[in-house]
Amino acid sequence: MFVAVVWVIGVLLATSSLHGTGARDVGVRASGPEGPSVAELAEGLCAPTVSNPGGTNNYVPKAPFTDPLGQGFTVTGTVRDEACRPLPGVRVQVWAQTATASEQRNRTSVRTDAQGRYRVDSDPLVAQFGEPNVHVGYDDPGPWRRVFLRNVTRDGDTGAQVDLVLSP
Amino acid sequence: MRVAVIAAGVLGLAGLVVATTSPHLAGAPIVLAVSTLTATVAVVGLAVQPWLARRRVRAHAATGLAVLALVVVHVVALLVLSPDDALFAMSPDGPTRARMALISLVLLVVVVALGLARRRLGWSGPTFRLLHGGFALLAAVLGVGHAVLTDGALEGAGTVVLLASGALSVLGGVAAAIRRRRVRPAVPASGTASAAGPPPRGPR
Repeated sequence: MFVAVVWVIGVLLATSSLHGTGARDVGVRASGPEGPSVAELAEGLCAPTVSNPGGTNNYVPKAPFTDPLGQGFTVTGTVRDEACRPLPGVRVQVWAQTATASEQRNRTSVRTDAQGRYRVDSDPLVAQFGEPNVHVGYDDPGPWRRVFLRNVTRDGDTGAQVDLVLSP
Repeated sequence: MRVAVIAAGVLGLAGLVVATTSPHLAGAPIVLAVSTLTATVAVVGLAVQPWLARRRVRAHAATGLAVLALVVVHVVALLVLSPDDALFAMSPDGPTRARMALISLVLLVVVVALGLARRRLGWSGPTFRLLHGGFALLAAVLGVGHAVLTDGALEGAGTVVLLASGALSVLGGVAAAIRRRRVRPAVPASGTASAAGPPPRGPR
C-alpha cells in the first residue's frame, strides 16, 4: 500500500505543470514570448489565443486607464486577428503584483496603437502565490471573444511580452 | 534526540528571523505574514517529529496536532489573502509546488488520523510505523519541496533553513529505522502495544 501511494504521488507530480496549466514564462529572459510563432506570422495564419486556467484570477471588469503603474517593468505585446493583422484601438487590461501594490489593485487598461501594439509600465513584479505572474486580458464586448491569460516571469525580470490573437 | 530538538529550535528561530526580515513581507498584508510564519514553524515541527516518536509520545502527538493546525491556518490565510489564487493553486491546474503542498496536507491529515486511531486500528507495530511514519516523512519532504519551490520570504538563507529541516526529518526517520533493526532480535512482534517503538516511560 505504501509503495502504491508513493507511485500515485509520483504520477501526480510528474503530470503537474511547473507554472500551472497553460502558463508560460513570458519574461525577457524566457525562451520566447506568449503569442504567434514566426512561422504563423509568415503564413498569415495565427492561432487564436486561448484563455488559460487562472487567467481570470483577481480580474475586475472595466479597469480604468491608469498606465503607468510605476517603473522598472514593462509589459508589451501586439494584438492581432487570426489573419495576423494588427488590431488598432483594442482595449487590453493588464494586472500584476508588485512590491507596492497587490494584484487586486495594480491594474490598468490600455489601448493598442496603429500597429496593434500596447505597452504598460509598472513597478517590478514580485511573487504572487509563489512566483511573479502577469495577467493580460481582453474583455470588451464586441466582435472578438474574451481572452484572459495568466503567465509568469522570473525574479529580476524587467519586462514581459504577451501577444494576443483574437478570434470572433 | 535532545540535539535534534535543539537543532529544530535553532532552525525554527532562524526561519522566523529570515521570514520576518524578508523584503517580501515588508508592508505585506497581515494574513500573508501569518501564512508564512505558520508554515515556517510547521516545517520545523515536522522535522522534529521522528525524534520525538520513540520516547516522547505525548510531545509527539501534541506536536503532530499543532503542525496540522498550523498548516490549516496557513491555507486559510492564503484563502483570505486571495481566494482566486488559492483556489486556483489547489485546483488540478495549479502549479507543481501547489500540488506538492496539497498532497502534503492530505498526507498530514492521514498521518494524524492514523495516530489518533492507532489503538482501534489493531495493526502490527511495523505496519503502523511504515504507514504513519512513512506518510509523515513524505509529507515533510513534499512540504519542504513546496516551500523551496515557492518564491517568497524564505528564499536565500530561508532555503538553507528549509533544506536543513527536511534533512533533520529524514535523518530522524533513518535513525529510527536503524535503531529498530538493531534491537529487532530482542523485541517480539508486538501487535498494537506500541506503534512507535518500546513503551514510553512516563504516563501517556
